[in-house]
Amino acid sequence: MSISKSGAKSLDLLKKLPRISLVNLGPNPGAKKNEKRRGRGQHGGNRSGRGHKGERQRGNRPRLGFEGGQTPFYLVIPKYGYNEGHSRRPQYQPLTLNKLQYLIDLGRVDPSQPIDLTQLVNSRGVTIQPLKRDYGVHLVAEGAENFSAKVNIEVQMASELAIAAIEKNGGVITTSFYDPRSLCILCKPVPFFTRGQPIPKRMLPGEDLLPYYTDAKNRGYMAELAKIQEARMELARTYGYILPDITKEELFEMLSMRKGPRQIFFGLSPGWVVNMAEKKILKPTDERLISYYNSS
Amino acid sequence: MFRRSLSVCCRQIGKTFLSTLPEDVGLPSNLKLPPNLISTAKRERPSPVGSGLPVLRKCEIEIPPQLSAKQAWLESLKDDTLGLVELHPDVFAVPPRLDILHEVIVWQRNFKRISHAKVKTRAEVRGGGRKPWQQKGSGRARHGSIRSPLWRGGGIAHGPRGPTSYYYMLPMKVRVLGLKVALSTKLAQDYLHIIDSLEIPTPEPQYLLDLAKQRQWGESVLIVDVHEDMPENILKATANLKTINLMPVIGLNVYSMLKHETVLLTVDAVNFLEKKLLWHDHRYSPLYPFRLPYNDFP
Repeated sequence: MSISKSGAKSLDLLKKLPRISLVNLGPNPGAKKNEKRRGRGQHGGNRSGRGHKGERQRGNRPRLGFEGGQTPFYLVIPKYGYNEGHSRRPQYQPLTLNKLQYLIDLGRVDPSQPIDLTQLVNSRGVTIQPLKRDYGVHLVAEGAENFSAKVNIEVQMASELAIAAIEKNGGVITTSFYDPRSLCILCKPVPFFTRGQPIPKRMLPGEDLLPYYTDAKNRGYMAELAKIQEARMELARTYGYILPDITKEELFEMLSMRKGPRQIFFGLSPGWVVNMAEKKILKPTDERLISYYNSS
Repeated sequence: MFRRSLSVCCRQIGKTFLSTLPEDVGLPSNLKLPPNLISTAKRERPSPVGSGLPVLRKCEIEIPPQLSAKQAWLESLKDDTLGLVELHPDVFAVPPRLDILHEVIVWQRNFKRISHAKVKTRAEVRGGGRKPWQQKGSGRARHGSIRSPLWRGGGIAHGPRGPTSYYYMLPMKVRVLGLKVALSTKLAQDYLHIIDSLEIPTPEPQYLLDLAKQRQWGESVLIVDVHEDMPENILKATANLKTINLMPVIGLNVYSMLKHETVLLTVDAVNFLEKKLLWHDHRYSPLYPFRLPYNDFP
């Protein structure tokens, strides 16, 4: 109320004032500060802010980190193995169950369709930077007490309590691996389709992450379905809730939708070219291409 | 400048500038009008709110409940006032941010600027490779080249170097807000008029000049329509006129709006502007440029 009233008051005041034109405008007082001009005037001149004699005034100071010959700090501290390759390690953007519930409640994410990283990015719930060694999203269990949505969600990493919270509400959670190129395509599909390249095969995880994604406890996409069923029942026993039977749900078909190990998008196979301008999909006809894209 | 005037006006709300009473001593000197001035004040038009004329155009986009639509006269270039139109307050009644207007105008002037000024340094000036005289013994000052900046005809030490670009982009929302503030201030100061279409009876430029004089639009008029294909009569009439200009609504910008005294918008242009300018209030942040297709939003 007060905002519109003060806006209306100032618009009324304008009626009495001269016409606003190119000659009467200026920045707000204090907005523009004059820049420092070296070598001009009583205070900027004389030595121009360089000090008195020596390397400082003559611009000959040594490189950053040099300590006059004493072993510099950055060389005194020894290297150690636990830091090796720290900048190349895969990073996962956290997604709390609180935030997921918030997005579903506000209608930014549709729980009646499988929730993918594309859906999360489109709803601006997470920001993934594939070029900064982000390998996807990590589902974190903060807000597990208040989570009450039945969803088919696919993330890249999930904590045990988060898996339990999703399955308790009758949902399905899968963890799957996306190599950086596939992740880039998954996060921003439209710019990829405008490039006119065929959808690539999703690469399999390397030897470090393979045990994670073949483990049923993490609901990995490469684990066997029977073992996943056992793991669901065991988790229910551990956390003390009754595991709801999803085969008897209306949305069972949607909840059981899963991507193939080499598939990036639901409904699109690797090797297809999507033409957004003409709304057409082009599929390969050459045998070699078909066998390459269909092989796992 | 405006802030001082605003503070003065706060104390003297309701007094016009033509008051010759000694109370206008409080005004800044550049706003005091000389006492022998022939009155050229615009005659005030009645406010559109109280009149009984029908509202011929309602806002298509929903107005928030705490705000009310602004009403303006719907005029015609041929006949008299046709009725009223309702304008969205979030486009035509935003608080008058004059500093944003200034920022956008400075940006409009400078972002296209490429200064081609370039001078030669001592390395580029022709000659000057040889030491003019020996270091010691000649009695003259020591020099290494005849084209050093100390010499007449020598290079310039710190001059402009090559084409320099002054390109920068203000955030999209600042530029949008600039347009909204410009429209609001034009409407508030009575320099914005809404017309139904651009049809005029004759292709004579004198018709438009007489119309502008009769309706007290001022020296310059900016006429804005949606598309470039406007009726032939008005295209011919404005072809050789310098002060009355036509513009498609995609070319509407703060500089042109403030340069021309009056702005005439057609109802289609108002629809287009409201749709485009209000979209930015509720859109999501871009994942990729907006020219690529988005599915559901923005």
